[in-house]
Amino acid sequence: MMYDHFENAVKGITDKLNQDPEGINAKKKYVLELSKLGKKLYSEDETIAWCGVTAPFDLLGAMGITSCFVEFVGAMLSSTQTAGGFFEEAEDSGFATDSCAYHRAVMGAVLKNAMPKPDFIIGTSSPCTAGLAVMENFAHQYKKDFFILNVPQNYTQDAIKYLAAQLEDMTLFVSDHTKRPLSKEKLGIALENFNASSTLLKEIYDLAKTKPSPVDNNLLKDFSTVITLMMGTQQGVDICQAFKNELNHRIETGQHTSSKEKTRLMWIQNRIQYPFPINEMLDDLGAKIVVDELNDVTWEPMDPDNPFESIAKRMISIPFSMDTTERIKHIQTLAGEYRIDGAINPCHWGCRQGTGTRGLISKGFKDINVPVLNLEIDCVDSRNLARGQIETRVEAFLEMLS
Amino acid sequence: MNKKIGFTCAYTPVPLIEAAGFSPFRIFPDSKAPDQAGHLLHDNLCPHVKKVLDRALADDLPELDGLIFINSCDSMRRLADAWHEAKPDDPIILVDLPSGTNSLSLDFLSKEYERLAKTLFRWNNEPFSIKKIKDKIDNWNLVAASVKKIEKKMSRDYFPGYASGLQQIINTAATESTDKALAMAQKELQPEEPAKAGLAPVFLFGNLLFDPKVFDLFEEWNVHVTASDFCTTSRFITPVDTTADDNIFRALASSYMEQTPCARTMDTAKPGDIAQKIVQRAKKSNARGVIGFTLKFCDPYLARIPMIRQALQKESIPFLMLEGDCTMGSMGQQQTRIEAFTEMLGV
Ligand code: SF4
Ligand code: SF4
Repeated sequence: MMYDHFENAVKGITDKLNQDPEGINAKKKYVLELSKLGKKLYSEDETIAWCGVTAPFDLLGAMGITSCFVEFVGAMLSSTQTAGGFFEEAEDSGFATDSCAYHRAVMGAVLKNAMPKPDFIIGTSSPCTAGLAVMENFAHQYKKDFFILNVPQNYTQDAIKYLAAQLEDMTLFVSDHTKRPLSKEKLGIALENFNASSTLLKEIYDLAKTKPSPVDNNLLKDFSTVITLMMGTQQGVDICQAFKNELNHRIETGQHTSSKEKTRLMWIQNRIQYPFPINEMLDDLGAKIVVDELNDVTWEPMDPDNPFESIAKRMISIPFSMDTTERIKHIQTLAGEYRIDGAINPCHWGCRQGTGTRGLISKGFKDINVPVLNLEIDCVDSRNLARGQIETRVEAFLEMLS
Repeated sequence: MNKKIGFTCAYTPVPLIEAAGFSPFRIFPDSKAPDQAGHLLHDNLCPHVKKVLDRALADDLPELDGLIFINSCDSMRRLADAWHEAKPDDPIILVDLPSGTNSLSLDFLSKEYERLAKTLFRWNNEPFSIKKIKDKIDNWNLVAASVKKIEKKMSRDYFPGYASGLQQIINTAATESTDKALAMAQKELQPEEPAKAGLAPVFLFGNLLFDPKVFDLFEEWNVHVTASDFCTTSRFITPVDTTADDNIFRALASSYMEQTPCARTMDTAKPGDIAQKIVQRAKKSNARGVIGFTLKFCDPYLARIPMIRQALQKESIPFLMLEGDCTMGSMGQQQTRIEAFTEMLGV
C-alpha cells in the first residue's frame, strides 16, 4: 500500500515537472526526492536502517544504506491523515496516549506491519529520550541489531572524541551487516555533497532573512530537519540549489514584495503536520513565518580527512543536543537576524524535550522583547484538536503584535 | 553538621559526595510546596521533576552547597536547565550519562564521574583523595550487602513492616549518611514479629516509590512485597565492584551502568532486556504477581510497558499496571485495584 502511494507520488510529480521543464519548482523537486526515498524504503530491495533524528545519513548513504528517521514516517502518516488507526493500535497495546505522537504513529505502524522491515536500527540519544525508547522497541519488535549513538550534551573535546569513536564503531557495525567496508572515496563524495548543500543552505537562509522575505508560510517548513536525509547526495545539492534559485527568482521578480508581511514570525521546533489551515490563516492576517527555529547551519564544513570528528561536532552542535541555555542563545540570534516581530511555540504535546523548555524559551524571548505565543497543541495527532480555541488565540496574538 | 549536596537521580554515586566531605541529600518529590514548576517547565513533565522544582521554588529545601543533576532523561535535563533559572546562585554540575552500555560509554562515564568527584572536592576546598573515595565506597558496599540480605529474607517470608523498614534504611542512605544507614541495617532491622503467611507475594517495579508508609499500605492491602525495583528502592544502593577495574571511576561507571537497570539505560545486545530482567527478578523473589507503578509522563518507563507486559504474559505472571504521581493520595486511589489483584492471585 505505502509502496504504491510513493510510486504514484513519484509518477505524478515527475509528470508535472516534465510539463514545465524550465520551471524552478523547488518544492515539487523536494517532494519528489522524498517520495523516491519513501519508495526505496518500501521496495524491499534495499538495506534499510531505521534511525534517530540526528543520525549521520550522509555517512550511512556512503555505506549503501537507505536510512531515515522514524519520525519522518510519523509526520507523513499525519499529513496524509492516515495516522488515526495507527495511534489506536499503539494505544491499544499500551503505548501511553500522552507520549509523542510521532512515535505513537510509527509504533502503531510497526504493530500493524505497515513499516518496512529494517536490516538494523541506529538510535540517537538526541533529540529525545522518547525517540531512543522507540528505537529500542523497534529493535525488540523486529529482532534486529541495535546500535546507539550517545550524543553528549556538552561541546567539549572529550565529548567530541567520544561521539567520533562511536561513529567509527558504527561504521564497523554497518560493515558487519553489509559485508562491505566503508569506502573512503564514497565517504569523501558524500561529505563534499554535504558541504555543498550546507553552503547552499546558508545562502537559502540568508535570502530568507531579506525584508520582506521571499519565503511563504509553507516553503521551508521543517526544512533543515528533513533535508539532512539527502544532504550527502547530489540530489540533495540539486534540491538546495533549486530552493536558492526559487528564492532569488522571487526576489528578482518582486513576488516577495507583493506578499503581505505585516508581521514576521519565528516558529519554534516542528510545524503542525496534519492539514490545519494555520498557514492560510497567517497569510490572511498578514503574518509570515520567516524562520523555523531549526532552519540553520550550526556546524563547520565536514573535513574529509577527519570525518568522524566533523560529524560528531555537527551532531552536538544541533541546538536540541545541548542544554537550553545554548538553545535560547541560538533562538535569540535568529530572532535578531530575521528581525522577527513575534514567535509561535506550539509546545507539541508529549514532547518532554521541547515543551520542558516552554518557560525558559518564553523568558528568552522576553529578554529580547519579542512576544511569544505558547500554543498547547499536538502537532501530529489531530484527534483532540481544539481548533476554534487555537484560531482565536492566534488571531488575538497577531492583533496584539500589530 | 555536614554541608549537603542535593541530587535527584539514582545514577549519582553517593560515595563521591561523602568522600568530598559532604552529606548526600536526595531531593524527593514529597512536599506541600504549591504547584508552580509547570510555568517554567511544562505541565506534561513527570511529577517527580516538577515536584522537585516546586521545592526549589518554594524554598522547601535544606541549605544545599551544590546540586548534582544527571542527564538521564529529557525531563531531568530540563530540570537542570530550570534550576539554573530558579536558583541562579546554586553551584550545579550536570553529569552526562550514556544510554547504551559499551566500553566507549564506560570510558566516557568514568571521566564524567571523575569530573564530578573533582568538582565536589573543589566545592568543599578539600584536596582530591582517591583513598577517601575508596573508603566511602567500601562503606557503601556494606550497606549494599545488608540491603541484599534483607531483600533475600523478604523474598522467602513475609515479616510485617519489613518492607517499610528497608525503605527507611535506603532513604537514610539517600538523605543523611551511609554510616547511619549501615547502623540501621545492622541493628534495627531484626524482624520482631515472626513470619506470617496469607499475603500475596508480589514483585514491584517502576520509577519512584520512596515513602515507607506506602509499603505499609501495600501490606494492609494484602501485598507481601518480595522485592522491588525502583530508582528509589534497593536499586539505588548499587554495589560497586571495586575489582572490576583498577581505575576506581571506571569501576564506578561499570557498576552503575550495568547493575542499575533503569529503563533509560539499554543493553544494545539485548534490546528490551528490561522486560526479561523483571521476569527474572519476579521469579527469583518468589513473587506470584507483578505490580508496575510508574509516574505519568515518564517516557523511559511508559515506552517499555508494552514489552514488559508481553514478557510477563508469556510467563503467565499476572501483571497490574498503575500510573500516578508521587503522592500518598494517588496511592489511595489504587486500593481497590490492588486488593482485587491480590485476590485474583488467590493466596
Ligand atoms: S517532538 Fe519531541 S519527543 Fe517527539 S520526536 Fe521530536 S524531539 Fe522527540
Ligand atoms: S526517568 Fe521517568 S520518573 Fe525519572 S525523572 Fe525521568 S521521566 Fe521522571
